[in-house]
Amino acid sequence: MAEPARIPPRLRLCRGCARFVHLDRPACLYCGADLDALEAAHQARRAAIRAAAEALRQAMSRPRT
Amino acid sequence: MADLPVRYTRAEDLANRVPVTIVWEITLACDLACQHCGSRAGRRRRDELNRDEALDLVAQLADLGAREVGLIGGEAYLRKDWIEIVAAIRAAGMDCIIQTGGRNLNDERVARAAAAGLQGVGVSVDGLREVHDELRGVPGSFDLAIAAIRRVRAHGLVATVNTQINNLSLPQLREIMDLIIEAGATNWQLALTVAMGNAADRPELLLQPWRMLEVMPLLAELAGEGRERGLFLQLANNIGYFGPHESALRNLLDEEVYFEGCNAGDLLMGIEADGTIKGCPGLSRHYAGGNVRDRRLRDIWENAEPIAFNRRRTVEDLWGFCRTCDYAEVCMGGCTWTSHALFGRAGNNPMCHHRALEMDRQGLRERLVKVKDAPGHSFDHGEFALVVEPANARVPDRILVNG
Repeated sequence: MAEPARIPPRLRLCRGCARFVHLDRPACLYCGADLDALEAAHQARRAAIRAAAEALRQAMSRPRT
Repeated sequence: MADLPVRYTRAEDLANRVPVTIVWEITLACDLACQHCGSRAGRRRRDELNRDEALDLVAQLADLGAREVGLIGGEAYLRKDWIEIVAAIRAAGMDCIIQTGGRNLNDERVARAAAAGLQGVGVSVDGLREVHDELRGVPGSFDLAIAAIRRVRAHGLVATVNTQINNLSLPQLREIMDLIIEAGATNWQLALTVAMGNAADRPELLLQPWRMLEVMPLLAELAGEGRERGLFLQLANNIGYFGPHESALRNLLDEEVYFEGCNAGDLLMGIEADGTIKGCPGLSRHYAGGNVRDRRLRDIWENAEPIAFNRRRTVEDLWGFCRTCDYAEVCMGGCTWTSHALFGRAGNNPMCHHRALEMDRQGLRERLVKVKDAPGHSFDHGEFALVVEPANARVPDRILVNG
């Protein structure tokens, strides 16, 4: 039975400066941003983009009158 | 994620430590004379695995769960039974690609390999014509490499280009990209030239650590442009780490992908032509886990301590800047091959973007000085010292000997 591979600790991406930081840090070590706040804003933007894309897809799939 | 290349790692690969990617030097015979060749290839080894041993090894690789076998050399196609090995790998359910200089990868060879199931060919292009021919040691090798890319595409195979980044090729990367896109390449794998084998004898080729401040933004720029033009950049594990371009450069579909440390002996296996098993093809014999002539492959993979270094290494084993780096637990000193080739010891890798940025922030930089020659055999290395100096120090960019 093979011994498992090394599994490194996880990092998170700072949505402000694109540096990776440790999960337990509330603020980015490099730009000082509030990581949770930036992540929430990023996810909200992504959700809005997805919703807009879905609305566009539906509009384009409706038959022309 | 079903369409991702087979080399991409799944959780069960880590849990079961599957050697997902195999890099197999099937012969040391070579028709080029590369100035940076780590294995100092040229003549075949006297004791290369014979046909039956090679085919048995294919079966053992499949039994371990390997998913992609990359055949290298020397020059893989100079081995008489290479097509048979390709066919056996494919018949065993694994992907198969070769890496080549392309000098004699003629139409017949590509056609036979494609018929045997070969899926892709990585052609080395290390510069524009003059630089490539100098680095590859054969006039005309540049034109033959570009012709090989076109030939590979004409036979419907995936054409990848491998480029080493060093003092000669760095200023030409953008033009190389234009050229290989035009020739039909869809993937571009980039690696730093490592101070091993012939490259250890040519320190003037090697980049100084502070050049990462220039390399990484350039690669990020090229990656963006390349993607728009149908070329996907892939960084070798010796390029990094953790600077502001980390996500952009390692991102395939997930922007939270980052370098997770050397994977030699965990997800990657290197095989020398005589059947020696290592965790990574570039590593020296110091890391040899055993030989398939003496032990079954599974026994070596599961039990050999010399290939277990990544599972044994702790932050306490790191040294120099890497020892106290914020990324130490994740990165573990970056590429083992690079670090060992420079210092004869893993765990301290100055070829790092984050490190260069941190030094620069303090108005400093690290300079490599060669202090000892390599003895002159395959996968050998010399020794280098690190000098910390002001970032604006007036010394040449190239690596000096005892300078």
